Amino acid sequence: MKTKLIALAAFVTAACTSAQVLAHHSFAAEFDADTSIKLHGVVTKVEWTNPHTYFFMEVENEDGSYEEWALEMGSPNGLMRRGWTRNTLEIGTEVYVTGTRARDGSYKGNAQAVILAENCQRLFAGSSQRDFVEDESAPVEGCGL
Amino acid sequence: MNRKYKLLAVAALAAIHAATGVQAQPASGQDRPRTETPRLPDGTIDLGGDGVWNLPWVTNFAARMPGYQEGDQPPMLPWTASMWAYNKSNNVKYDPEGFCLPPGGPRSMGTPYPAEIVQDRDRIVILFEGGGHVWREIHMDGREHPQGDELNLTYFGHSVGHWEGDTLVVDTVGFNEKTWLDFGGYMHTDQLRTTERFSRPYKEVLHYEAVIEDPGAYSEPWTVEWDINWSEGQELADYICQENNKFLLDMHDDFGLPFFEKTSGL
Repeated sequence: MKTKLIALAAFVTAACTSAQVLAHHSFAAEFDADTSIKLHGVVTKVEWTNPHTYFFMEVENEDGSYEEWALEMGSPNGLMRRGWTRNTLEIGTEVYVTGTRARDGSYKGNAQAVILAENCQRLFAGSSQRDFVEDESAPVEGCGL
Repeated sequence: MNRKYKLLAVAALAAIHAATGVQAQPASGQDRPRTETPRLPDGTIDLGGDGVWNLPWVTNFAARMPGYQEGDQPPMLPWTASMWAYNKSNNVKYDPEGFCLPPGGPRSMGTPYPAEIVQDRDRIVILFEGGGHVWREIHMDGREHPQGDELNLTYFGHSVGHWEGDTLVVDTVGFNEKTWLDFGGYMHTDQLRTTERFSRPYKEVLHYEAVIEDPGAYSEPWTVEWDINWSEGQELADYICQENNKFLLDMHDDFGLPFFEKTSGL
């Protein structure tokens, strides 16, 4: 499904983040905390699984090409304590995402927050039981990101 | 005072506390309630209730040593120090917990997610939502540790406990070597012996302390401690770490080879 979106740019910025994301595995071994990502696109697949949930999203670049991103989030037990349900994201849901990118430079990231474009509801996506401090230095358009 | 009168005295105290209700007073420097420590009918500290213990994520055991100052380290033997440096150098990617193996030992009290403590007549069971949905058992019936080959080496070891006043003291031996002491990469051997102390100074806080003795890895015993907050009304959830561990599927070893492709078929 390719929904036409406004301002479909994906911003990948190098910035110091102060994100504290809990993972059952080494976050630093997989993700580069110094490379923040801000994405806007449409969900294409959801894996509501342990030890991490994943969703996949299609992001359209300015030149009309598409990138398929995989985003890691917390586990279902942790996400439900933060207000998520297994149906929060569905195929076709338009979202904004902030997070950090995988060290290998692939289209894979760890999502820290997911904002539902429909109502701008902001959902914390990390597996942390603590709150994290988001990087607010590089806002992008849409839902106050 | 014989046992009967002790129980009566405890019951009387409990009645007084019940009559006076919750003693809410802020913790020192914090706007947090302090409620009377709950007790079982026989006067024993109740480590449970309608809620769960919200385990903190303790990533660096050194920082939890009493009197810790930046740079302090546990009394590591040379090999332990070398392995700690190696683990740090690769962003602790070989941490056994990343493989969905149990945390084992004191680390289980510093690994998300919440835990519940269930007190039975002759044993105490700690149910961990995290660490791969595991539990550990503490024998309270006065038994001793198995000796020799009868002591099987396991992730959580063999635990026996007793009460010293209002503190639960747990002695554990028989750990295998398949866990790390903490996320940061302090390792141990099967000579590890832990002495844990659990106390509940007031309802909202469990104070946890563990003395770590392992002559195979550390030159002398060392101690870690932290507080664990109570989450009233919360319940344990399901968490099966092994389900979809993509981290391992994408993992590469020190030579750049896929970790599991290399070992498949063994």
